[in-house]
Amino acid sequence: MASQKDIKSRISSVKNIRKITRAMEMVAAARLRRAEQRIEELRPYAEAIRRMTRRAVEAAESIPSLPLLEEHDSIDRVGLLLVTGDRGLAGAFNSQIIRAGNARNRELRQEGPEVRWYASGRRGVSSIQFRGLELAGGYTGFTDRPAYADARSIADDLITHYVDGEVDRVEMLYNGYVSPMTQEVRHETLLPLQQADVLGDAEEEDEGRQDERSAESDSDDGERPDHSRALWIYEPDPEEILKRLAPDYVEISIYRALLESTASEHGARMTAMRNASENAAELIDNLTLEANRQRQAEITQEIMEVVAGAEGLR
Amino acid sequence: MARTKFRAEVLTPEGQVFDEEVEMVSTRTSVGSIGVLANHAPLMAILDPTELRLYRSEGDVVRYAQGEGYLQVVDNTALVLVEEAIEPDKLDRSAIESRLEDARSSLEQAEEGSEERNRCERTIKRYEAFLEVDTG
Repeated sequence: MASQKDIKSRISSVKNIRKITRAMEMVAAARLRRAEQRIEELRPYAEAIRRMTRRAVEAAESIPSLPLLEEHDSIDRVGLLLVTGDRGLAGAFNSQIIRAGNARNRELRQEGPEVRWYASGRRGVSSIQFRGLELAGGYTGFTDRPAYADARSIADDLITHYVDGEVDRVEMLYNGYVSPMTQEVRHETLLPLQQADVLGDAEEEDEGRQDERSAESDSDDGERPDHSRALWIYEPDPEEILKRLAPDYVEISIYRALLESTASEHGARMTAMRNASENAAELIDNLTLEANRQRQAEITQEIMEVVAGAEGLR
Repeated sequence: MARTKFRAEVLTPEGQVFDEEVEMVSTRTSVGSIGVLANHAPLMAILDPTELRLYRSEGDVVRYAQGEGYLQVVDNTALVLVEEAIEPDKLDRSAIESRLEDARSSLEQAEEGSEERNRCERTIKRYEAFLEVDTG
C-alpha cells in the first residue's frame, strides 16, 4: 500500500496535469470558434465562383476541353491525399484518417492501381514515412491555421501530377466537421473533376437557367433578366475564363477540406481534453479519499497506541 | 471634380477585405490594365497578379497586392474575386524573394510544355508582381 506521502505527491501531479488539460481545452475551444468562422468566410467566395462559372458556361459557344475534367484511359496510379494535423492529443482525429487511408490502399491494390501518397499535417507525413512508403507530397506547418496559399500549393502539385500523367486519379480523405463533438471521415474524389460539379447538370440546364434567373432577380446582387448575354464583355473569351476556373474548384475543395479538418481537430482536441480533465478530477477524488482513509487509519492507530500505553501504566 | 461613386467589393477565400463606395477600380486583366468607373457595361474578366487600386476619391486610394482572380461588373457593382489581396505593408519581402527563387530554379528543371512549367511561370509572375507592389 502506498504511503501517505506517495499519495499526496500523486495528487499534486494529477492536479498539474488537470491544469494543463484544462488550458488545452480552453485554447482548443477558442481556436475552434475561429476555425468555424473561417469556414463561413469561404462561403461567399465559393458561391461567387460558382455563379461566375454558370455565366461563363452559358456564354461559351462550346465547352473547351479541360484536362482536369478528362478521365484518363487507364487508371494505373491513384493519388491519395491524407489530411491530418501537425499535432496529436486530439483523440481519434489523426488515427482514423490514417486507418481509412490504409483501408483504401488495400482496396485499391486489390482492384489493380498502385497508390501514390500525399499528406498534409505532420502526423500523416510521419505515419507514411514510418511505414517506409514513398511520399509524393508532404505539407506541414499550417494545420492550426491553414491559408488559401497552402491549399493552392497542394492543389498545384496534384493538378500538375494529374495533367502530366503521374497520377490517373486523386482522392482525398479528411475529417469533415459536423459539430464540435462529431467529426466524420470523408472520402472525396478530387480529380478528375466531376462535370456536374463544375459546369452544372446539362439535362437540367434549361430549367435551371430559368430558376436561376428568377432567383437572381430577387436577390440584390443578381443580374436582372434584361441584361442579355450579348451585352456582356468578356476579357478574354468565356472559354478561356472556364479554363482558368477549373483549377479553382480543386483549390477550393482542398481549402475547404483543410478548414474543416482544422475545425475538427480543435473540436476533437477539446473533447479529448475535457475527458482528460474529467478523468483527472475523478482520479483526484479517489486519491483524496484514499489519503483521508489512510490518515484516519493512522490517527486511529496512534490513539490505540496511546490508550494501550496508558492501560499499561496503570 | 468628384466622380460618381459605385460599389466595389473584394472577396477572397479568407473573407471579404473591402466593400465600399468608390470612384474607380484599377487593376490588370489578362488583356491589359483596366480602370472601371461607375456605370460600366457588364464585364467578366480574368485578373492577373498586380496592384489593385480602389479610389475612394482622387487622393484617397486603397491598395492591395492582388493574386490571380476574376473581375465581374454588373448592375453598377464591381466584384473582385481574388485568391489573395494583401495590404502592401503586410507583404513579407524576404519570404516572397525566397519563393521566387524556388520557382525560378524549378522552372529550369521543368520540361518544355509540361504543366509543371506553366505552374512555375504563374508563380513567378505572381511574386514578381507582389515585389513590384512592395517597392512601388
